[in-house]
Amino acid sequence: MDVVSAVIFVVALALIAVEWVHRTKVALAGAALMVLLGILDQDGAIESIDWATLGLLAGMMVIVGLTEPTGVFTFLALRVAQLSRGRPVVLVFLLAVVTGVLSAFLDNLTAILLVVPVTLLLADLLRISAVPLVLVEIVASNIGGTATLIGDPPNIMIGTQRPELSFLDFIVNLAPVALVTLLVVTSGLALVYRRHLRVDPVRALEVARLDAARDMREAKNVWRTLAVLLGTILAFFLHSLLHLEPAVVALTGATVMLLVAAEDVESALERIEWSTLFFFLGLFVMVGGLEQQGIVDQVAELLADISGGSPTAEGLIVLWGGAAGSAAVDNIPFTAAMIPVVESLQGDDFDDGLWWALALGACFGGNATMIAAAANVAATGIMDRAGQPISFVRFLAVGVPVTLVSLVIATFYLLLFQL
Amino acid sequence: MADLRSLPLVDASVPETATFAEAVALLFKAQVPALAVLGSDGLLVGVVSELDVLRAVFPGYLAELRHTAFLDDDPMGLDERARAIRSRPVSELARQVERLDGDDSETHAAERFLHLGEQALPVMEGARFLGMLSVAALCHARLDRAGA
Repeated sequence: MDVVSAVIFVVALALIAVEWVHRTKVALAGAALMVLLGILDQDGAIESIDWATLGLLAGMMVIVGLTEPTGVFTFLALRVAQLSRGRPVVLVFLLAVVTGVLSAFLDNLTAILLVVPVTLLLADLLRISAVPLVLVEIVASNIGGTATLIGDPPNIMIGTQRPELSFLDFIVNLAPVALVTLLVVTSGLALVYRRHLRVDPVRALEVARLDAARDMREAKNVWRTLAVLLGTILAFFLHSLLHLEPAVVALTGATVMLLVAAEDVESALERIEWSTLFFFLGLFVMVGGLEQQGIVDQVAELLADISGGSPTAEGLIVLWGGAAGSAAVDNIPFTAAMIPVVESLQGDDFDDGLWWALALGACFGGNATMIAAAANVAATGIMDRAGQPISFVRFLAVGVPVTLVSLVIATFYLLLFQL
Repeated sequence: MADLRSLPLVDASVPETATFAEAVALLFKAQVPALAVLGSDGLLVGVVSELDVLRAVFPGYLAELRHTAFLDDDPMGLDERARAIRSRPVSELARQVERLDGDDSETHAAERFLHLGEQALPVMEGARFLGMLSVAALCHARLDRAGA
């Protein structure tokens, strides 16, 4: 049965990577097979689902969904373009910072869905190609998302499954390296793209005179909605002091948001992406099957053998292996499978360095290919619909160098401060 | 209950070789929310609706944006866009939709309109295109009969 469970998981990963079937269908089918074939019993399947991750994701989907109609995100993107006054390097940096910060405190997929359409409009207004700007935003969203517990799905899974790691721990240990990486990588991309992003001063003036705050003035309940958003983010910072799980913070924030926002509850709850939640659910059951069959322990033993038991070598293998796995498959299923492996690897002595290595590997690896992170898939989908497709190879040409530079920075960081 | 043949169907169709500008002119003149696009053999290739035309005339990313009130005029190069698509063949926009049958009931047509979100659908007799049925035509005929 252990071989069968491994085969089911590997086939599922391959199908998710090639996108022949929707990833949620694949994950659910894999989970059903694990249970029907007796690899995992029914109680074990229910126990293997990490409900806290699902709660955190659902809560954030409602919070962001109800904040979006306030127009604040469009306002931010427009103000950034206005502040850049047509200077390409400044525009690239400001867009990268806005996308990175939104990714860190909302999540990277949401940040991309909010920022990319406005960027297409900005590029039209400035008569420049949107493709370089969107590539910078994708990269910034994956790096920015690395900085917090809620910024990127791999971190959400790690944070909810390891109660020892608080929201503040993520910020203290990951935000500085994410910030340095964002600045280095954005500088490189700004240098490469500066000629493509020359803006006619007349166009820059046109953008400068737009009334960026108009949509916010016309929206309902803007200030109380933003107050709930900021209150929720503050509660994330304080959650371990308050003895509240991140999922409880997110779901409470979502409930307060439902009470104060103008939308009725039915349309507000439609913002929950059920396909994403069921994708995670199926993955958790599949990984539960792997754990039950001892595959996870075998992989951990293999990693321990390769590293010769040295924590430093283990950390670097988790970092680089995590990035390679995420690039080839998708960082969500890869992290779901790696979490129990890292647990097994560290044994009884909790070692947060290994968890930061996994977070950095999975999140930074998310930049390597078009399929490596959900934000990349979403952004390239929007570009396709807008008639400005980004090819797989063009993505690779940016994604691979960016990932390599990020991993080198992460390696130095881990060696100096964590491992 | 009358079937769809007895309703005021509009013979709003363009050949697939018609230009985008010709199709939009007919949409405007015929006052139906969608046109049939017919192949050289007279068979239905697809339909083009007002929303399809809107999406072609304005940038594709508009559907993903929720906030555009800050655009007090249109500095987005819309004229260049319109010039570029005017003479393109309308067949590029033709889209497959569900077809109604001449002997379908009005209630069935109403249910399809509600669930498909279309404003007009082609009515067929076998492979032959009878005309476009719009929501307004369907409802107008119903009210007319009730008042008679």
